[in-house]
Amino acid sequence: MFQTVAILALLLTFIGIAVHWVLTPAGGPRCPVVGGVHVFSLLLIEQRSSLLGALKKLCYLVAAVCFVVLAITGFWPTLVRGEHISGFLMYIHATFAPVFALCLAILALTWAGSHRFVASDCPWLLRLLRRVTRLRIPSDDRPWPCSLAIYKLAFWAILFLALPLILSIVVSMFHLLGTDWQHLTLALHRWISLVFAIAVIVHTYLAIRLRMTSQV
Amino acid sequence: MLLGDESDGSRAQPIHVIPLYAESEKGEKGAQIDPNDPLALPFSTRFTCGECHSYGAIRGGWHFNAVDSNVPAGRPGEPWLYFNSKLGIQLPLSYRRWPGVHRPEQFGLSLSEFTKIFGRHMPGGGPGEVTPTETEALAEQYVSGKLEVNCLACHNAHPGQDQGGAAGYAIQVSKTNFRWAAAASCEFADVTGSVTDADPTYDPFMPDESETKAPRTIYDKKAFDAKGNVFMDIVREAPKERCYFCHSDLFCGENGEKTEKWCADEDIHMTAGLTCVDCHRNGLGHNIVRGYDGEDAESGNPLAATTSCRGCHLGEEGGNRVTGGRLGAPVPEHKGIPTVHFERLTCTACHSGPWPSDRPVLAKTSRAHRLGTINVNKEVRVLPHVYAPVFIKEAVAANGTAKIGPHKLVWPAFWGTVDANDGVKPIELPVVTKIVGAVLTDVAIVETGDWSELKEEQVAQALKALADAGQAKPVYVTGGTLFRLNEDGSLTSDEDHPAAGAYAWPVAHNVRPAAQSLGVGKCTVCHSTKSPFFFGKVAVDSPIVSVSNLTKTQYQFQKAPHARTWVFAMSFIFRPWFKVIAIGSTAVIGIVLLLYGLKALGAVAKLLSEQE
Repeated sequence: MFQTVAILALLLTFIGIAVHWVLTPAGGPRCPVVGGVHVFSLLLIEQRSSLLGALKKLCYLVAAVCFVVLAITGFWPTLVRGEHISGFLMYIHATFAPVFALCLAILALTWAGSHRFVASDCPWLLRLLRRVTRLRIPSDDRPWPCSLAIYKLAFWAILFLALPLILSIVVSMFHLLGTDWQHLTLALHRWISLVFAIAVIVHTYLAIRLRMTSQV
Repeated sequence: MLLGDESDGSRAQPIHVIPLYAESEKGEKGAQIDPNDPLALPFSTRFTCGECHSYGAIRGGWHFNAVDSNVPAGRPGEPWLYFNSKLGIQLPLSYRRWPGVHRPEQFGLSLSEFTKIFGRHMPGGGPGEVTPTETEALAEQYVSGKLEVNCLACHNAHPGQDQGGAAGYAIQVSKTNFRWAAAASCEFADVTGSVTDADPTYDPFMPDESETKAPRTIYDKKAFDAKGNVFMDIVREAPKERCYFCHSDLFCGENGEKTEKWCADEDIHMTAGLTCVDCHRNGLGHNIVRGYDGEDAESGNPLAATTSCRGCHLGEEGGNRVTGGRLGAPVPEHKGIPTVHFERLTCTACHSGPWPSDRPVLAKTSRAHRLGTINVNKEVRVLPHVYAPVFIKEAVAANGTAKIGPHKLVWPAFWGTVDANDGVKPIELPVVTKIVGAVLTDVAIVETGDWSELKEEQVAQALKALADAGQAKPVYVTGGTLFRLNEDGSLTSDEDHPAAGAYAWPVAHNVRPAAQSLGVGKCTVCHSTKSPFFFGKVAVDSPIVSVSNLTKTQYQFQKAPHARTWVFAMSFIFRPWFKVIAIGSTAVIGIVLLLYGLKALGAVAKLLSEQE
């Protein structure tokens, strides 16, 4: 079941992103090659960055690489071969996992402030609240910056999901849980990792888009 | 259906005060035994026990059906080990079609010869009861009789039941007194003389009092009542001591230390008050449960699935009826053990056998080393050399699993010939004894019963002698290596030849208590670069020094690549770091989430308060 659901979910995510990219162009270079170079250049650490900025960027890049490795090693055996992760794939997965967790913690510390929700992120919500509750909630008539709101939402979703994702594996390493619970934590890890991966993909896509339109 | 074939439901033990019957000359039910007859025949279990129990059904049971080619061989089990230190032979034999064993007839052992050598630890039946086709063998069997199923071997609870004593069952079998063996084992009959010592004209059905060397049965008259009946202390469930006669183990260290009985613990099930037959059950057909995973798919025994380790301790998955915890079996929680262990390891891997050491120890078994019989060589290095525990990945079972479990292992050593498929068949023992024995006359027999050392030149000479005697492509197999002669007459060796591989069979007992299981304390008991489970050195056993100096590492038997195994073991050094980093990171993320969650709550609270 997981195999089918995961393949469908990931496919839908990528198709959704592609459709979104085509229907609402970000306004960057139209040539795919130039566009690709432009996107790649976003990965580079800018010279004008401060030391902290450079470290944040570096941390993000390491986290991104770790995520790719973890996603491939985690999903490949399950989704493609229909097996549990084992052998060298598991070793690689387990090696990159703590690095990713560490980077995620640093990013949580350094990015949380900039990912706070503000009133302008969801003007329609404010309008809705004002209408329903009749409270004097200040409203904003500017158009809804949908991408930015989802970008922030994805960030908080990543952090929120990271907790059970990491703990489900770590807790199974202690002499605490019996076999039934071990099965449960493994299933939790698997399902949460799917949602987590989708959240990361969406967040990364929107980060690129927003950087191209200089909104972040 | 006979009287004793089906229980009426009473839990009480039926009393057996019964008449004894001998087998007649025609192989039919003979006269009732008269203890006052000085030339009385031995009683026949077939016609005595068979009065009330269907002997024909019982003899089809697992302990007796090895010669029946229609019976599924099941998981490889302990073979019969023929050895001869001077001739460099240590050969696993069995009538069951287990991969790696050789059939006795391939080795030149007739049914009778096989029974004479190994019948000491058989409960009768099987090869001892087959009617031969050759006239000469038929004539021999007329005198020796058949080795009938010895019901008493398992079901006689009397302490006088003598399986291995000076005049007991084992010694009678070795004297070819097959007909007399069961009677000799019981507490109320003695047997003197032997078929092998008797006059060639001896006829057991026309005995002559002057024939003093022939077998004679002397019954204890006091055991018979006025009607000529005998009380036999027969029990339905075989006492564990009866099982132990054929199923005992002794583990000896390489340095000579032995685990004496008084300083070793029994199987935890025994300590808990169970007996062997509480798990290894059988019905009238005596198709006893062997108790391994997947047996139910092979044997058709309805009890096989429910009386295995899993059957009692875990029960069947699904369904409304709770089947786990039978007989008071604790349902294991396996706290902290990743579930992958249950997919890849047998229960016995962590719970059974001797605690793994850097070098698997020498094991002695009842059947391989004649334990419990008279004049047993108690030296540690006595042949055959059986090593345990060796953790081996088993072949794919009928239920599709292939798990790693502890095994006893033996390295076959024998003289053979190569067939067209590069398979090796052993050369018949009489040929080897004559041809190879003549070449190895100078080889001294070692008092400890260990290998007599062979030199490669001697092997070459023996192979040349075998070739000269007409054996096509003779080879010598030992320690996983196959020695053969080149065209120029020089000796060449193939290491790890598939036909020379070790034979192994699973260790099931003794089961250690849960607190003494592998991994109960630390993962590094197995997952470290020095763990005996993966990196223990298994001795390669051979009379040839250049081969016996070799070792194999445990992971090689688990079909695990070296690099992967080593890297995985190494990774456990960093496991505590992993935990610290993961928990620390989670704590930081959690605090950030809490902090900003509180901030959000504060913002909402502020908004609501401003409305007032």
